[in-house]
Amino acid sequence: MVQYSLPLVPGPDKVRWNASVNGVNVDFFIDSNAILLDVLRDQSGSLGTKRGCDMGTCGCCSVMINGTPKLSCLVLAQEVRDCEITTVEGLSSGHHLHPIQQTFADCGGSQCGFCTPGFLVVSAALLEKNPSPSEAEIKTAIEGNLCRCTGYQQIVESISKASEILVSGRRVGNSTSSKSDPHPGFSGSE
Amino acid sequence: MSDNDRSIKSKEASERDVTSESGEMVGYRQQPGKLPFSKPGSGGRNRFSKPTDYSRIPESQGGSLKQPWGPHRHDDLVSGQVIGKPTSLVDSNWKVTGQAKYGDDIRLQGEVIGRILRSPHHYARVLSIDISKALELPGVLGVATGEDAPGKFGVLPVTKDEHAMAVEKVRHVGDLVACVAAIDEPTAREACRLIEVEYEVLDSIHDIKQGLEDSENPIHDRGKYHIGDSNVQKRVFQQFGNISDMKDSSLASHESNWTFTGVNHGFTEPHAVVAHWDPSGRLTLYTPQQVPHYLHRALADVLDIPMHQINVYRTFVGGGFGGKSDPFPHEMCAAILARKTGRPVRINFDREEVFWVNRGRHPSKISMSLHADSEGRLCGIETDALIDGGAFASFGHVTTYYNGVLHTAPYEIGAFHYTGARVWTNKPASGAMRGHGAVNSRCAVETGIDDLAEQLGVDPIDFRLANLLPPHSATITGFRVTSIGMRECLERVKEESGWDEKFRKMPLGKGIGIGCGFFISGSGLPIHWDPNKFPHATVHLKIDMDGGVTVHTGAADIGQGSDTVVAQSVAEVLGLPLDMIRVRSKESDTSPVDLGSYSSRVTFMNANAAISAAMEIRNELLEATSEITGSKIEGLVIGDRRIFDKRDPAVGVSYLEALHKAQEDKGALVSSGSYRTPPMGRAHKGAAAGLAPAYSFSAYVAEVDVDVETGQTKVTKVWAAHDCGKALNPLAVEGQIIGSCHMGLGQVLSEEMKYGRTGHLLNPDLLDYKIPTVHEMPDVTPIIVESNDPEGPFGAKEAGEGPLLPILPAVVNAVYDAIGVRVSELPITPDRLYKAIERRCKSEGIGEPSDMAPPRLEFTSLQETLQRRSIDHSKRDKERRLTDSPSPYHNGALFGLDPEIPGDEQDSRWAAVVIPPDGYLEDPGLAGSAWKHTERRYRGDVE
Repeated sequence: MVQYSLPLVPGPDKVRWNASVNGVNVDFFIDSNAILLDVLRDQSGSLGTKRGCDMGTCGCCSVMINGTPKLSCLVLAQEVRDCEITTVEGLSSGHHLHPIQQTFADCGGSQCGFCTPGFLVVSAALLEKNPSPSEAEIKTAIEGNLCRCTGYQQIVESISKASEILVSGRRVGNSTSSKSDPHPGFSGSE
Repeated sequence: MSDNDRSIKSKEASERDVTSESGEMVGYRQQPGKLPFSKPGSGGRNRFSKPTDYSRIPESQGGSLKQPWGPHRHDDLVSGQVIGKPTSLVDSNWKVTGQAKYGDDIRLQGEVIGRILRSPHHYARVLSIDISKALELPGVLGVATGEDAPGKFGVLPVTKDEHAMAVEKVRHVGDLVACVAAIDEPTAREACRLIEVEYEVLDSIHDIKQGLEDSENPIHDRGKYHIGDSNVQKRVFQQFGNISDMKDSSLASHESNWTFTGVNHGFTEPHAVVAHWDPSGRLTLYTPQQVPHYLHRALADVLDIPMHQINVYRTFVGGGFGGKSDPFPHEMCAAILARKTGRPVRINFDREEVFWVNRGRHPSKISMSLHADSEGRLCGIETDALIDGGAFASFGHVTTYYNGVLHTAPYEIGAFHYTGARVWTNKPASGAMRGHGAVNSRCAVETGIDDLAEQLGVDPIDFRLANLLPPHSATITGFRVTSIGMRECLERVKEESGWDEKFRKMPLGKGIGIGCGFFISGSGLPIHWDPNKFPHATVHLKIDMDGGVTVHTGAADIGQGSDTVVAQSVAEVLGLPLDMIRVRSKESDTSPVDLGSYSSRVTFMNANAAISAAMEIRNELLEATSEITGSKIEGLVIGDRRIFDKRDPAVGVSYLEALHKAQEDKGALVSSGSYRTPPMGRAHKGAAAGLAPAYSFSAYVAEVDVDVETGQTKVTKVWAAHDCGKALNPLAVEGQIIGSCHMGLGQVLSEEMKYGRTGHLLNPDLLDYKIPTVHEMPDVTPIIVESNDPEGPFGAKEAGEGPLLPILPAVVNAVYDAIGVRVSELPITPDRLYKAIERRCKSEGIGEPSDMAPPRLEFTSLQETLQRRSIDHSKRDKERRLTDSPSPYHNGALFGLDPEIPGDEQDSRWAAVVIPPDGYLEDPGLAGSAWKHTERRYRGDVE
């Protein structure tokens, strides 16, 4: 870490900022030079959007801006004023996971899970545009995201499985529905 | 209900229960009304949940699960629930919804931001630090320097050489000098700028060889192991068998001098830590850690408070791979700042700082000589490994041993000679990284064997198959090998890759190569205590009236799925679905001590502990059932949420019924299970390094495309066979195998920490440090080989680190097969490979690289000898693995020794030599020359 000997630059102005984050309209005062990633994490409470490198190399901070995946660490918050921003928290509907979330869990697409939000957002955006992508198309879509655990193979598999679910029109079950009964037959749930 | 109705209902129920869709008998019979224990609510059509899946019950228990390796001690605990089923991680829903809290996601009320001032010099004496200006800056709440925490720490108790912040000296660029807590990050950065530090710059050391020489200012002044005035941190000499005799009798010899650059773990989550002293005066430290317990100890040392005053909270870990397995100075800094300011302090790193912390794989220079005799036996391995430890010791003590001792298997060898040395240099510290210490030297060994086979005119796979140790044997260094699935791994990859049609038969530019691996499954010795005193892993269970099982464990889930494995083990023993198990593994306040996630120990040790804890509960449930039904305990078995009589499955109770009976007098059921390694190994110095209760084996075949005009290498296909004993969760094992391929491919093709001429790290970011993307990944076919380890939980061994080892040599050997060029420097970047191609063209007078001839191989008569021996050994191995107590087999039998007696007891030439003999220093290897220094016990400044 080189210690830069620059004088402290004058503090940034506070500006008003509106956007729709996961379908909720937000209205903050932000620093005029604030990076979208910081606003999402520190002000809008979207801690699911991860900070991996701050320079657009890892893809962990990917979010959807008006449906297009972007690296939020390379976006000035002011650039996306009034836009629709979707983070990983906005993918599921209530307790029904998005198919891509379910298949990442089922097919081993997520190990340590730190890169997962980025991958999910990028692949959800892909599936929205192209519900049945080829393997090459999947690979092109996730080429900007780094994963150190899985070696990508199970991620690609997860995405194609999710595409199958989407095409079939099925919906992923509610995660709050009744779990296993320790006394089978008693409550009549099984 | 009339009797008639009842009989109709009972007929319906019994038909449904006893027949599967295919009409076969799979379940147990149900006869409602017949049983005296039947009570309202416990009957009904679906009372007995799902029938037992007999395809998951081992043969030894009457099921249909084949056991080619014989029965296992945990067979009777198998209830057919989850073991061996591809299972998604128990915490995966947290991860995919963004709800998982990693280090930087812990936000506490009133928190302030910590920032670290780092050294701009490679090596300097800190003359003075003036923090007054920083403290005056509005918004700054506290500044700490080395004076605030002079205590030393380090992960290994024998090499504590780190401080929270610089005391006296800074030892590499990025070393910690001071830290600041401020209301926000810009203020904290500015405060760091305002700290005035006066340095006296010292001559720094960057060349690994320079570290061997005497120095005016050794990087560390340390008493016990100080070696001359040099920067040698650790040196190892080991000799087993007579290497010169073996050399004389050899027919083929291979020599190579390897250079390995350092690589970083490249986990996606940068380090982050939050420290909070609560109103009662206790510290809670939230941190993504692989070794929370070792951190716990180090914190107590540095902060000078008792351990019980600290709660280490392991957050979700965004990738570890060994890079989060040290207690770190920034964790101390956060605690110190939080103490000073009275506020919670959060420090999060940027990516550059991650590279300054490093602890990645050691840059090394390895000389490898291998010898094979006329019978195609591997009669000698000579290794000299000089490794660059950077500025601190970290795990270096162990790494120095691992570079040698972890290639004494899976082959039977005639003589083994290892010299290793680790030196301190003014670089960020190297440490443990996936495949700790074994990766580089394994690459050198396996590529050497490829060359030996070439010289002998035999197939390299057959050469390996004819030289394997059998199951239940001891290596030349005395490691106890129990299960070994190496033969199956080799045979499977050979068959699936179509090896015989491809090897040395493909056109120029296309090649195929083999590599093998061997790795420990848990370190036999804990780092901090006497293994006879405390267990390595402990698991607590608590079951209350709701029936759900709470598992308390200290094992750190770093994404590999250790929570899942422990939940699976408990679920299997108790016959419960996985959603009834909840694992609490995060806090040291509530979890029993576990040593952490390193040395691939968690599945083996923690699952064993979990099984023994679950067995206690199981016994209580069986007793309760026996009380209700009157069946004998020995006759009871557990199925899905039901305990029933083996002979008359209709007789049984539901899990909850048994549980409530068992709880009648005491309320919640609790139990504790633990695991410790059995006594093993020899007594020579360093004999414990590399000892493990089990070892994993793997064999990979890689196919590559090399562009001879540009030197670009593309790995197109990998067949990866790994012997993990038993895949408790095949989904996770496959994930580990493919992920290991990814990490290994990075090291072999593109990743390196580049240091410039002035010793400065040139690529501390993920743009210039090239981790393979999805486009660089080949298609990997994971092949799981299950050798059913006798001591493993349900037969399992590790699958996290071992799978990384073979990918490097497999690719290097495939490159040779493609273009006839042997590289000896990694990564194989296009520029390096093109230079090697040019060298070959020049030396052979070839005009254009495309005119090079790819290597071809004519088998000699030895090939048949080896194949015959391999068939004989295959029979021998099969007999040994199925025998209850096979006779001892010590390395050396292939060379005419009695297998039942250790080599050193039969022939003094096989005795362990751990101090260089007279005359050795006349012509030592590179690392061997570390022995020219005299060890000084005390330097005066210590004790």
